[in-house]
Amino acid sequence: MSQIRLTLLASLLVFSTLVMAQEQTSSPIPPETKPADIQQAADTKPAMDVKPTTDVKPTPDVKPAEGKLPFKAALVLTPEFCATKVKPKGSAMTKEWGTFDIGKSACEELEPALKGVFVNLTRVAAVPSPEDAQLVLLPRIVDVNATTASIAFSNREMVVIVEWTVKDTSGKTVWIETVQGSAKHHMGNLFTFKKNQHLIVTDSMKAAAVESASKMSGSVELRKLAQ
Amino acid sequence: MRTLYILCALSLAVYGETKFADFPVHAVASYAIKAEEAGLAIGLQPVEDLKDQKTYFDMELTPKGFIPVFIVIENQSKEESFLFDKSTVTYGPADSGTATPQVPSKLRDNGALATVASLAPGTEFIVMAKINHASHIQGNILKRELQSRTLSPAASTHGFLYIPAPKHGPREKIRIRVPFTRTGTQESVPLVLDLVF
Repeated sequence: MSQIRLTLLASLLVFSTLVMAQEQTSSPIPPETKPADIQQAADTKPAMDVKPTTDVKPTPDVKPAEGKLPFKAALVLTPEFCATKVKPKGSAMTKEWGTFDIGKSACEELEPALKGVFVNLTRVAAVPSPEDAQLVLLPRIVDVNATTASIAFSNREMVVIVEWTVKDTSGKTVWIETVQGSAKHHMGNLFTFKKNQHLIVTDSMKAAAVESASKMSGSVELRKLAQ
Repeated sequence: MRTLYILCALSLAVYGETKFADFPVHAVASYAIKAEEAGLAIGLQPVEDLKDQKTYFDMELTPKGFIPVFIVIENQSKEESFLFDKSTVTYGPADSGTATPQVPSKLRDNGALATVASLAPGTEFIVMAKINHASHIQGNILKRELQSRTLSPAASTHGFLYIPAPKHGPREKIRIRVPFTRTGTQESVPLVLDLVF
């Protein structure tokens, strides 16, 4: 009797896991996506009296943008960058299946996000000549990390770190910034895992793209350059 | 039995959502190791205490061969901006060559965290929980790392660099060199700090 009950309970648990993971994959509700907590505080002076246990919440350093930046900017997305794939980290026991197609996602998300920042933005596959652009925007994927979850409906988080270098016509670096994008999704089961993996990559890169646009738009240095 | 299953599932979900304590941030002037030049100020604090490492990283990094060093940088200038490029930061023994600090991926590839999962004995649930937790630790290390950025007038930034250090025995005096570039003139402003672990 107890064996039957045990089997039934185990089946119920497995079934509910499958159903919940399936729901997550096909859910029309937007996933929990946000620019990751920016650890670097900016435009703020660290307080002297912060206690060790204080939960320090840095204030965002992005000032409200005052219109588009009046530049002809070139966004350099090389074929190599767009082909960037990141293998999940970890040992044989901890490693996740598949690869994260970060470059593909970045090349889909960055251009639309930055369109609203510059008066003129062109996507190019190589660094353009000085007469073709006033500013050259060079993204670099610094690192990617995804947590793992042991059950299909557990949320896991991905963090993507993108570093931006902006150069002027003389090739001089005028601005550097690093942004984090993160997203949370269910791990998914055997059947939904691949789709969920794609979703978390896309959403974390989308968050990084939004954060990039916000930082560029609010940059004191780029605004000063425009004057 | 049912309760046991539910408890197991809940505990795994909670275990995977571990929150890490924030490291306290102070003004540069309050750090014991600091340097100032051309309106830039930098202060640092090595986190050597294993209890502190456990609190902020949920693992002891020193036995893995790394010392997390917390760095605060302030641009105290009212007009000038400076570029901080993490890849130009170097360290080394005070009287010899230099190297660049380890980035989290290198720290992970080094196998420092791979052992977390292998420590787990017993049931599959516990093993899986350890694996999940290891990936959260890796994520935390990455999020807390000091990153490249432009320091506008009166802006500041902070984060950790992970400096390789011998697991046992005496350590040498370490010299950390942090160069900055003025956005206007492109002039380099290096700040140098000596650190004894």
